[in-house]
Amino acid sequence: MVDTRTLTRRRYVLTTATLGSLALAGCTDDEDGDDDDGAGGDGDLEIVHWWTAGGEEEALTALLDGFGEEHPEIEIENNPEPGGAGAAIDAAIQTRVIDQDPPSTFQIWPGEALRPYTDADALEDVSHVYDEDAEDAYLESVLDAASPEGEVVSVPINIHRLNNVFYNVEAVDDAGIDVDDIDSPEDLLDAFAAADDAGYTGLAQQTQEPWGVLQLWEVVFTGQHGVDAFESFLAGETADLEDEIHESLTLVEEYSEYFNEDAGSVGWDEANADVITGDAAFHHNGDWAAGQYQAEGDDFEYGEDWDYIAFPGTDDVYTMVMDSFVMPSNNPTPDATEAFLTYCTSVDAQERFNPLKGSIPPRTDVPTDEFPDFSQDQMDDFEASSEQTVSIAHGSGLNPEQSSEVEETFAVFTDNWDPDETTQELIDIF
Amino acid sequence: MGPDIAAALARLRRQRRPPEQQARTDGGLDEGSAKAPVSPVSKLWYSDAVQAIPFWLPPALLMGWFVYGAVGWNLLISLTDWSGLGQPEYTSLSLEMYRELPGDRSFRAAFRNTVILLVAFTGVSLAIGLVLAILVDRDIRFENTFRTIYLLPMALSFVVTAIFWSWMYNPTTGTINVVLRGIGLDVLASDWIGNPRTRLWAIIFALTWQFSGYAMVVYLAGLRAIPDEHYEAAKVDGASTLRMYWRVIIPQLSAATVSAVVVLMVFALKAFDFIFVMFGDNPGRSADILAVMMFRVAFSRAQWAYGAAVATVLFVMALAIVAPYLYVQYRRGAL
Repeated sequence: MVDTRTLTRRRYVLTTATLGSLALAGCTDDEDGDDDDGAGGDGDLEIVHWWTAGGEEEALTALLDGFGEEHPEIEIENNPEPGGAGAAIDAAIQTRVIDQDPPSTFQIWPGEALRPYTDADALEDVSHVYDEDAEDAYLESVLDAASPEGEVVSVPINIHRLNNVFYNVEAVDDAGIDVDDIDSPEDLLDAFAAADDAGYTGLAQQTQEPWGVLQLWEVVFTGQHGVDAFESFLAGETADLEDEIHESLTLVEEYSEYFNEDAGSVGWDEANADVITGDAAFHHNGDWAAGQYQAEGDDFEYGEDWDYIAFPGTDDVYTMVMDSFVMPSNNPTPDATEAFLTYCTSVDAQERFNPLKGSIPPRTDVPTDEFPDFSQDQMDDFEASSEQTVSIAHGSGLNPEQSSEVEETFAVFTDNWDPDETTQELIDIF
Repeated sequence: MGPDIAAALARLRRQRRPPEQQARTDGGLDEGSAKAPVSPVSKLWYSDAVQAIPFWLPPALLMGWFVYGAVGWNLLISLTDWSGLGQPEYTSLSLEMYRELPGDRSFRAAFRNTVILLVAFTGVSLAIGLVLAILVDRDIRFENTFRTIYLLPMALSFVVTAIFWSWMYNPTTGTINVVLRGIGLDVLASDWIGNPRTRLWAIIFALTWQFSGYAMVVYLAGLRAIPDEHYEAAKVDGASTLRMYWRVIIPQLSAATVSAVVVLMVFALKAFDFIFVMFGDNPGRSADILAVMMFRVAFSRAQWAYGAAVATVLFVMALAIVAPYLYVQYRRGAL
């Protein structure tokens, strides 16, 4: 008996010690791991991003392949942080930046999303990675978004357009709607009503997550009151815009009568599927929604089965949703990061990445041949647009704190559909 | 184990005892001979606590550092005004963040929802678990199969259940409304998670489905521990089945109830994943809970100190649930 007990204790000590050292090793491994990733032979370029789904992943792979051809000496450590539109990446990147252990580069929306990083001096000036051609080829508004504090700190790699209304051609024809006559956001409401009368869902929409209605309100506001008013809103001059905010919220509330019945229980892609099946007439979203139509192949052709118009009232506006890469301070691989960012500004990079991503290149001199017809039209629209602005729902319009509060306000709005209360709450945020 | 090793170990054990406690030849301790004065140092050295250091110190250090250290640091951060990506300032600590909480409408809504979730989810799960346990315990056929079926949902990840519940709750194509319409109960069909009035209840219902199996298992263990004589005695005394359970059996399940309640409640406080998967970090005031709010404030807004204050509130709530349980267990001598 005595012996067994001694043995058990001994084993216990041994096990505890082993487990303890394992646990400790586990922890140190973690820290070392990050260091290794960065410093392990000055070549390892760690890229953190959230592109893990379908076309996005292919687009990133194409970009990295192109970079690998140009810089075969640089080892890439592809480190995705999946999670819808960056939900998980924030937590990961912010804690690493606070610990002064950032990756070589990471994906981030340009514009105000950069603000917490520039406030903390956590990003390097990258203006020198743009050569003269690149600087000319980028529109000023895009470079502005890449420079929240005046100096350029990020490299936009793609642009999605937010102010589109997609429609099912057959449904719209059947309801007797002529899209060319839709000149204002109010006209669009009449079109929804007409579609509804003909037995279609007016607007396929998701309200399960608040950004859907937020982005709808943004384009309605821009359509009704113009880019200048919208930018004043972004600048926080909300108190002067009370009537305008209220008017747009009221119209969105009227739109909501024509949403699909299950808007509160579906994601945007499920809502958009109603346009493909012909149950719904219209869908408002960024041009990533077109990827879903294109995936249908020959059964659902651009121009014949589906088409789009710029959101009424925003014909010559391009509401941009962009992604960019940055150079964090305390960079583990400054040279490799610079090489990568320089590559991202190039025609080659943007020509590889964007057709697969379903976006258009920020450079206006990228050959259009590789792009699908729809994207080519978007590129023409982009060059022809007289004003470009950014979006709150996609991070560039307001700093993360304000965006999250605006989102929360819209989460309440989709519950109570009360324009009075929502207007007041929006004003109170600033 | 060879006899020589055993002898060596016995020798070692003897040497580790204080000299005045050498073993007697009959195997007992020669305590009667402890006439020589014992120094306090050697008393301390030979005390149980010190001798047991290899056993309790490593886990205590690991727990202390990784759990209690983190809790303490969270508390410290909640007293600062840290936000953004800079470093926290520990020079001027105040309760400012806690003062802001009661005036924050999101916090009030999240707090209210957390309490509702806690009470309703725990209560309903226990009730269903008890009924299932009694049914499964009544020597039914395929008992094991039923037990497994009821317990299985618990094995599923929230990410999975949240997604398929949101499909089932779909007002047009979801199973729930389809079934309700199928049996002629159209009036009950509703936009379950789209309508703010039913949203929280829909979440509670789904969580209950997932966790009443756990309550069942705990109760089943409790039922199995009750001797058959109690059932027989009740029957001999002429008690009906209902009365027997109500007056004889259920009162004996209080220990099982307490342990199930603690686990379920602590669990309800953390029902983050389910809501986050369904609605993201902004579920609206009708379904926001403190855990989601904490994530939103800290990681979407980088208001670390405020997020830490919300976390502390959650921690205090969990403590308020667990502490009485630990105290009762301690009084019973079960700890």
